Amino acid sequence: MIICAYCAHKNREGLLFCEQCGNPLTSDVSSATVPTRQLEDSLGDLSARATWGSASFSGASAIVLHIRDASEPVTVSLAERLVFGRSDNTSPRQPDVDLTPFGALEKGVSRIHAAIERSEDVLTLVDMGSSNGTHLNGQRLSPEVPRVLRDGDEVRFGKLVTHIYFK
Amino acid sequence: MTWNKNPYNVLGVSSQATGEEIKSAYRRIARRLHPDVNPDSRAAATQFQDVANAYEILSDSLRRRSYDERAREQAESDEDYYFTLQITTSKRTIVPLPEPQVIYLLADIFADPRAVGDAGKKRQSKLNLTLVLDRSNSMSGARIEKVKVAAHQIIDNMDNGDIISVISFNDRAEIIIPATEVGDRPALKARVSMISPSGGTEIFRGLSDGVRQNRTYSGPRLVNHVILLTDGHTFGDQEQCLELADEAAKEGIGISAMGLGHDWNDNFLDDLVSRTGGNSMYVSSANAVVEFLNTQVKNLSNAFAERVYLSVATDPDVQFESAFKLSPHPQPLEVGDGVIPVGSLQANRPITVLLQFQLPGGMKDGFRYIARLVASGDILSNKKQNYEMISDFSSEVTNEPSNDEPPAAILDALSKLTLYRLQERAQQALENGDVTEATKRLQNLATRLLEMGQKDLANQALSEARRVAYTSDLSDKGRKTLKYQTRYLLMSPDEDNA
Repeated sequence: MIICAYCAHKNREGLLFCEQCGNPLTSDVSSATVPTRQLEDSLGDLSARATWGSASFSGASAIVLHIRDASEPVTVSLAERLVFGRSDNTSPRQPDVDLTPFGALEKGVSRIHAAIERSEDVLTLVDMGSSNGTHLNGQRLSPEVPRVLRDGDEVRFGKLVTHIYFK
Repeated sequence: MTWNKNPYNVLGVSSQATGEEIKSAYRRIARRLHPDVNPDSRAAATQFQDVANAYEILSDSLRRRSYDERAREQAESDEDYYFTLQITTSKRTIVPLPEPQVIYLLADIFADPRAVGDAGKKRQSKLNLTLVLDRSNSMSGARIEKVKVAAHQIIDNMDNGDIISVISFNDRAEIIIPATEVGDRPALKARVSMISPSGGTEIFRGLSDGVRQNRTYSGPRLVNHVILLTDGHTFGDQEQCLELADEAAKEGIGISAMGLGHDWNDNFLDDLVSRTGGNSMYVSSANAVVEFLNTQVKNLSNAFAERVYLSVATDPDVQFESAFKLSPHPQPLEVGDGVIPVGSLQANRPITVLLQFQLPGGMKDGFRYIARLVASGDILSNKKQNYEMISDFSSEVTNEPSNDEPPAAILDALSKLTLYRLQERAQQALENGDVTEATKRLQNLATRLLEMGQKDLANQALSEARRVAYTSDLSDKGRKTLKYQTRYLLMSPDEDNA
């Protein structure tokens, strides 16, 4: 099985392009893990991308959120699925991670904004139809389309910026 | 019909092989192709029959000697090369895995330069062409006029001695030009000019008359081809049309189809032509008709071999999943029973087919066979009929894989074919009522198209994605644009210049 490094779709061994999103699959069996060094080599001067870390989440069990303008990093232990949003007593669904203390309302975070999902050894970030969108490393995600999350990625919920590290 | 293939080739043994070698070669191949283990494959059944015939000859010393003598007498003519079948694989060695895995084969069929060479640049084929033209009401105006211009040019460009027939149809069919040798061009063209649009669209009427006209001259040394041009849906007679296509294929008549505008049934026309190895095309504007038709006819008149079939018999534990013709014209192929019509082979351009197989989990180490591929066809310049090339494809299963990149040709083709498959999957998702999935796939398609620099097509995909999200359906135009434009991405660069 090859896990697409882009959308985390599980493809059969031997396929060369992801059946879900059409991106090329590397023949390397551990394709989902791209060592930082290798990325630096292949991407050369794209220093912004060189900060991308490993996508492998095996062994780790928690993520750390470094929210901009917040004094302390937040550590969250990860189950199958972690919903980010803004707690609101009137809504029937509550998020797993409430971003209200970090100015979620002013920064345009939806009540149910996005989720981090765990599939095999890979984490994916998926926007759940938020009003102001979810950005991964500056790129806006299409709703309901999962993208692979790497160690150190910048995620923006509305205008709320955070960096996510694996622990 | 007497069986006249080369039994040594069929069994894959040298002409000096001993009886023992012949027997073991026969057993090895027969085990793989036996109908009992390949119940649904006509390819395996016919190939098995050939192997059995070959063994029957070679295992009998008297018959073998008489075959050898006959072969020596005909040595010069029989040892001729006409075309070659070359197989490239996505991986040279296979790592044994507990789970199934996919492997791609690229089959290239190309005319042998030695065979093309003697005839030089001269045309080798004689055309037997039938145009079946829609003259329903919707063809009024620019459409019908452009079609007439195209038909005139075709008549001008055909050689004396080529055969033309023209049918026009709405809810009835009318024979404009009965099958006749091209001679008095002004008279033929004048008849085409008389076509005037009215009425509805019933394809079967036109098509059946077209096939009938084509049949009056059809023969093994001609390129027999019917080109259907329509701009509308046909109702209730699709099944009849498909049956007719099957019949035509058996008689060696190819059918290509051109859909004009966006109000016609693409799935039906794709199915229709794939049964005969023909092409289907989407012509969005009337202006493009002239060029499209002329290119199509030009390609037909370049034919070196006709009625080319690729017969694919996999080993019993291998699954044949899909086939796509990359060259000369990008066209999805039906896997069906393993015997796939791939149309005509041009002297200067190969037929290239990309095949996808699934290998089973738990394979043992060592060399193993995956499939036997047989390319067959009629050579036009020559009286050689049903010439064939056999290729037994095998690969090594080992835990020490070669870390080669897949060949560039396969990677390149797949990078584009993946886009075609994405739009196909989006449409499948829609048919299953899964709007979210369809939207997602269209968005992915748009992203990939943008990365490839196909900006217009990417925008089209994106606007269709939006449309699907709101209306749960694609627009007729968008659907066809995505389907045929992603297909045309696979067109080889030299075709763009042509």
